[in-house]
Amino acid sequence: MTLALDEVAQKTAAYLEEKWLRKVVVTNIEKIFGGASRETYRLEVEVDGKSRGLILRRDPKTSLIDTERKLEYGAYVAIYPTDIPVPEPLFLENDPSILQQPFSIMAAIDGAVTDANMLNEDQKQQIGMEKWQLLGALAAKDPLELGFDSFMEVPEVDQCAPRELAYWEKIILADQIHPQPIALAAIRWLKANLPPPAQKLCVVHGDYRTGNFLFEPNDGIKAVLDWEMCHLGDPLEDLAWSLDPLWNWDDAENAGRLLPHSEAIRIWEESSGLRVDLEVFRWWRVFASLKGLAIWISSSEDFQNGEGKDAILAMAGWLMTDRQNRILLDHLSPHASRELTGSLA
Amino acid sequence: MIPNTDDALRMLSQRLMNHLLPDLKSLYCRSDGMLVGMLMNAIADEVATGIDRRMKDIADMKTLLAKGGSYLDAGTVVSSEPLSLSLKDVNQLHDELTGHLIQLHIQVEKEGSADATELNNDIWRYLETTAGRHVITAMG
Repeated sequence: MTLALDEVAQKTAAYLEEKWLRKVVVTNIEKIFGGASRETYRLEVEVDGKSRGLILRRDPKTSLIDTERKLEYGAYVAIYPTDIPVPEPLFLENDPSILQQPFSIMAAIDGAVTDANMLNEDQKQQIGMEKWQLLGALAAKDPLELGFDSFMEVPEVDQCAPRELAYWEKIILADQIHPQPIALAAIRWLKANLPPPAQKLCVVHGDYRTGNFLFEPNDGIKAVLDWEMCHLGDPLEDLAWSLDPLWNWDDAENAGRLLPHSEAIRIWEESSGLRVDLEVFRWWRVFASLKGLAIWISSSEDFQNGEGKDAILAMAGWLMTDRQNRILLDHLSPHASRELTGSLA
Repeated sequence: MIPNTDDALRMLSQRLMNHLLPDLKSLYCRSDGMLVGMLMNAIADEVATGIDRRMKDIADMKTLLAKGGSYLDAGTVVSSEPLSLSLKDVNQLHDELTGHLIQLHIQVEKEGSADATELNNDIWRYLETTAGRHVITAMG
């Protein structure tokens, strides 16, 4: 059930007063568009005469990405002390009686935005460089030193690829409304061509793309967001996802509409100290497209059968499925032009 | 007199996006409304040509399944017609044939013969054709 904005404000203020033992007044609240996996609100609160911004993320009944909030919140807590910028995690509340669903609260990042359309060419270069530097820095970290093993499953390096493939295959088979011949052909190809073990185990963000980080156009990236698909795995997984053609719909040459694909890979290699073998990487690129397709198929199913009727669920299951199918065909069909996927060749 | 349904949907989408949404105060509601408007355009295309596209797919899949009869017995579905031209009935036959096509694809991938390779190529061509045939371009 959707709560009215003033109810969310009132109940959140009461919750924060109990946590902070201070008078809390919500001076502004707005729902943020695009929170596909959680209902996201931005609040301005006044505490002890000082104003501060907060982000409230409330679990919906259904979402684009069915994820475990404890894992996501745990990732924020583990990453926050590092050089990868993320919003400060403040509270995780699993009691559904407070806002009808579990929720988390984080500090807002003031003045930063996610829309790369506003960037000029120089700014794209700068933000793009930082985007893949940060991803490389994340890949270079030891997840066990960060404590990820205390709340996340730790796979063997030779299980990273088959484990992820099995997970998303299950989603597709469970959620397909109509038979999916392209997805199933891709799954067969991926099973027949499994990559070698990961070079190392790393923290995989799971949805690292333009739009999932906050930046100031002239002052760089301020926070990496949306860790709901975070897991431990192969570092090439995030890199391949970040380069999927879905994220540069209207700009075939530039990954994430920021930098040429080969430049993004070079920056990532330099920052991570790892190497991209293009043969192995091909597997992860096909997998990234399949994972995208699985998410869109799942969102269609949510829209049709779930309680949530968010337009973004239908849009993802409609336009995105269509586009992702054509990307997979471009990867795998013997007659494909590689028009969409050939930018690394 | 009922207006042409696909045109009506497109015009209502324009009405929503150009006249109603700009007056909404909430950015969230304006953004969500834009998505609804875009989807109405995509649905208009589906209303106008969806059944025709599926019937073409059905004809193409029947041809492939008939050609692949030595690899997979698809039974009577190869010669069946939809119970009606409603989207539901057309979808049902389309789904049934697609299920058989997937099985045929698996079989020909396993075979190494020239015939199987040719049929495998034909199936990929069909998948490319149908992806193009169903391409969604309506973005508002």
